[in-house]
Amino acid sequence: MIGADLRPTDAVERVVGTLPFVLDKKVEGMVHAAVVRSTFPHARIVDIDTEAALQVEGVLTVLTGADLAAESSIDPYFGGARKDQPILAIGKVRYVGDPVALVVAEDKGQAEEAASLVYCEYDELPFVESIEDAMVEGAPAVHDDYPDNACGWGKLRWGDVEQGFDEADLIAEGEYMTPAASHVPMEPFVTIAEWKGNKVEVWTAAQAPHSVRRTLASIFGLEQEDVRVQVLNLGGGYGAKGQTKIEPMAAVAARAVGRPVRLELTREGVFFTIGKHAARIRIKTGVKRDGSLVARLVDVAWNAGAYAVVSPRAVIQGMARAPGPYRIPNVWVDSRAYYTNTVPTGPFRGAMTTQVAWAYESQMDEIANQLGMDPLEVRRRNLLREGDLHPTGQPMHDVHFVELIEDAAAGIEWGDTSDVDLPPNKVRGKGLGVIMKSTVTPSRSEARIELRDDGSVVAYTSSVEMGQGAATTLLQILSHHLGIGTDSIRFVHPDTDVTPFDLTTSSSRTTFSMGAALEEASVELKHELTDLASSLLEASPADLVHEDGGISVVGQPGTRLEYLEILRRSKIEQLDAEGVFQSEGGLDPETGQGVHTIHWHQGAAGVEVEVDLDTGKVEILRCHGTSWAGRVVNPLRARQQNEGNVVWGTGLALFEELVFDEGQMVNPNLSEYLIPSILDMPRQITTREMESSEPDAELHGIGEMVIPALPPAVGNAVYAATGVRIVDLPITAERVLRGVMARRDQS
Amino acid sequence: MAADDPLRSKIVAGGTALVLMMRQGLVAPERLIALKHIPDLDGIEDRGEVVAIGACATVTTVASSPLVSSALPSLAYACRAVANVRVRNVATLGGNLAEADYASDPPAVLISLGAFCEVAGVEGARTVPVADLITGLYTTDLQEGEVITRIVVPKPASGTRANYIKYKSRSSEDRPCVGVASISSTSPDGSIASLSVAVGAVAPTPQHFPDLLEDAIGQRLDDSLAEEIAEAYASRIEPMDDLRGSAWYRTQVIRALVKRSLLDTEVGIR
Repeated sequence: MIGADLRPTDAVERVVGTLPFVLDKKVEGMVHAAVVRSTFPHARIVDIDTEAALQVEGVLTVLTGADLAAESSIDPYFGGARKDQPILAIGKVRYVGDPVALVVAEDKGQAEEAASLVYCEYDELPFVESIEDAMVEGAPAVHDDYPDNACGWGKLRWGDVEQGFDEADLIAEGEYMTPAASHVPMEPFVTIAEWKGNKVEVWTAAQAPHSVRRTLASIFGLEQEDVRVQVLNLGGGYGAKGQTKIEPMAAVAARAVGRPVRLELTREGVFFTIGKHAARIRIKTGVKRDGSLVARLVDVAWNAGAYAVVSPRAVIQGMARAPGPYRIPNVWVDSRAYYTNTVPTGPFRGAMTTQVAWAYESQMDEIANQLGMDPLEVRRRNLLREGDLHPTGQPMHDVHFVELIEDAAAGIEWGDTSDVDLPPNKVRGKGLGVIMKSTVTPSRSEARIELRDDGSVVAYTSSVEMGQGAATTLLQILSHHLGIGTDSIRFVHPDTDVTPFDLTTSSSRTTFSMGAALEEASVELKHELTDLASSLLEASPADLVHEDGGISVVGQPGTRLEYLEILRRSKIEQLDAEGVFQSEGGLDPETGQGVHTIHWHQGAAGVEVEVDLDTGKVEILRCHGTSWAGRVVNPLRARQQNEGNVVWGTGLALFEELVFDEGQMVNPNLSEYLIPSILDMPRQITTREMESSEPDAELHGIGEMVIPALPPAVGNAVYAATGVRIVDLPITAERVLRGVMARRDQS
Repeated sequence: MAADDPLRSKIVAGGTALVLMMRQGLVAPERLIALKHIPDLDGIEDRGEVVAIGACATVTTVASSPLVSSALPSLAYACRAVANVRVRNVATLGGNLAEADYASDPPAVLISLGAFCEVAGVEGARTVPVADLITGLYTTDLQEGEVITRIVVPKPASGTRANYIKYKSRSSEDRPCVGVASISSTSPDGSIASLSVAVGAVAPTPQHFPDLLEDAIGQRLDDSLAEEIAEAYASRIEPMDDLRGSAWYRTQVIRALVKRSLLDTEVGIR
């Protein structure tokens, strides 16, 4: 089954529109909530007047942060890394969009109308919007507990960078910026919460149901068993739904009114809930004349927004990825996040990697240019190879960067410089990018499977299907290891009362981690079957073989017993087995030395662009995206993932950007925050999902490996075409034109 | 109704603009007066010298009308470039003009073609050139209770060249950063007989300057004349800043695209 183009199990349901989403879920007797949001970036709350809102027909209650703070049975703060985020603002608001009150009404229209009638009186405070604002000494503090706005610091120390720079023939230095962005999942955040006695049940669109359960238990002082979190299919997540978001609001509302409460955010509300870290990356690299890298100093500053979410952990991810997939004997990285009065940020597909890759892959081409070397050659010379040490001290295994960059180059006919007939105002160029990404380590995934005496299998995992294809991929993996057809296997949706623990469906970990848990559960189940069959067949377990859902004595096919016969004859209705994947690791906080990731994700991109010299507009003519898969479970889905990577990366390269002005988010809507449409696609997209020749090679996630390579590949192609180096993403037409005209003025 | 209580009533056609404004809380009418069921307001009619387009004709209807395509190809083209298919199927041409959003495609083309609006109101009917209709950001010459009933577009003489360039600086579904509409006809000796250029999406109202084109009449439309006119437009227009481009950037794009439009070297979107 592994390696087969199994049609997605949910294909028909998706097309005809019957696939269940929490967005479509209705619970008997449910009422609706609407959020009142701050209109100031930073202000003390003087008064919240709920009088008019309470007069609206159908309104049941209006909750404020003060109400929650006064409730001794609730801890009103939560957060994945620090408990710094109030369910509703307490005392002050910290960004435009910060929830300050929650209206609950019989219907959604009433709740929204009443929300517009909640009047908040504020006393404005000075605010910080950018990283630069936040890091200045004496800057306004977003949180009193963190007077310097510090929100996490990752330190990587490897070799002696100063000595490395002394040995270098060339020093390349640069500062690169990447903007805030919005995940824009098609399905907005939506949660239904209902209390049953002292237990709370939520239906929610979340990527990590067990993490939501833990957070709700902590808020309400409950045992985890008293919180039930159920998830259906997600209409996209991309990291946005990775941690607890609106579930606490729905749960406090439901408790207040004693009825099930549904909270669905507006599109604007989605923009105001979570974004991507803007980052400033300063990078200094020492290079020998032959192109070999000898030292790299990286200083990354991440804009965390108003609440930490997981920033203190995420900066460690960004830190380890910041040097890039290169063999560098001396490395020093500081990766620091700062609180600002803007929307909170979190992992965003290609997480904590698109930012640093933009810097190191742009600089790699600048180095090549300064040395007069081919950008492909300078990369090939430095890329990490099997057995090399990563700057965390971890030996590299299963690395294929050289093959990937060569494939990316071949995919766009890198060496081919044959002339094309172009109008005088058009120029073309090619560019490359190659990246490494780690996966969250340590991490844990558990799976449970049940074999029933009708021969069918039910699989319980908390992995979330969000369009990425996990449902089909995991089905194929389980079918492969059990030797049972996919038609006889059913997966249930995540439900923390029923499906065992899984850390999260993110970090491109599900195929590998949950795949491993399912494999272990399969092995366990087969052991149990072997034992049963051994009694039934009066044969030694060592002489029994499993094949296609049955067991026989080796060399005696006539003895074959189907699994269901084994159960029936053993008078067992159901056989259970469990599997666990657990990775171990961790880094020294002062040096970054240790085990950062169980394995490395690897991707590359090659692009060819055409630039209009009159307008600066960049068109991507073709893109070849390539990533290391180890083994491909489903070739069609794998290819679609990489194609999706190209779509995603195109937006980040050319126009996606959340803009802030005076603390206000300028474009919290899809009219002004643009995501790519079909017409923005490269004229030609090709991909490769690279596999090992080993039949049991390790599976690698491939959900986000081309994305971080794409923006720098486009930037490098623009440079090749025009001689203009863009250092700030996105690569807008205006930035390119400014560069083109500046060069024209110089010559 | 709209005239009696203008603050609390809004006239709605396709609703693609008004509903967004209502959702954002920019307007909060208590009453919406729909034009949808008024007969004969959505037809497209050949009146000989002119094409009369009902104000409630959808942008798709205009874009796909064989009459508009053959007689007014630059208008058909601009309507095909509006927003996306979902918006075009609902939005109306009259609504587009009445909204007077600066970041829009049809107004510049209609001005280049010398179109005018038939307007009906409690005081009676009148006609207003499209060039005079849009008076500022989201403001028009329409009086309270007045509605556009028809957009009347003169048919250019045969041999006339007309085009529209929609330049989008970001995604392909973006509004225009700059829109340039031009129309020119030539005398038998090859010199310019008539010329009109309108630039949209760069300032509160579409920009057109007949005085900058007067000297061109009688000359041959070559590279250097096109450049001269483009430079004159780029110098005269004071563009605005928005997320699609700064004022400085728009000036550069105006210079490039007015020239391209005049020389007809590029037609609009890809």
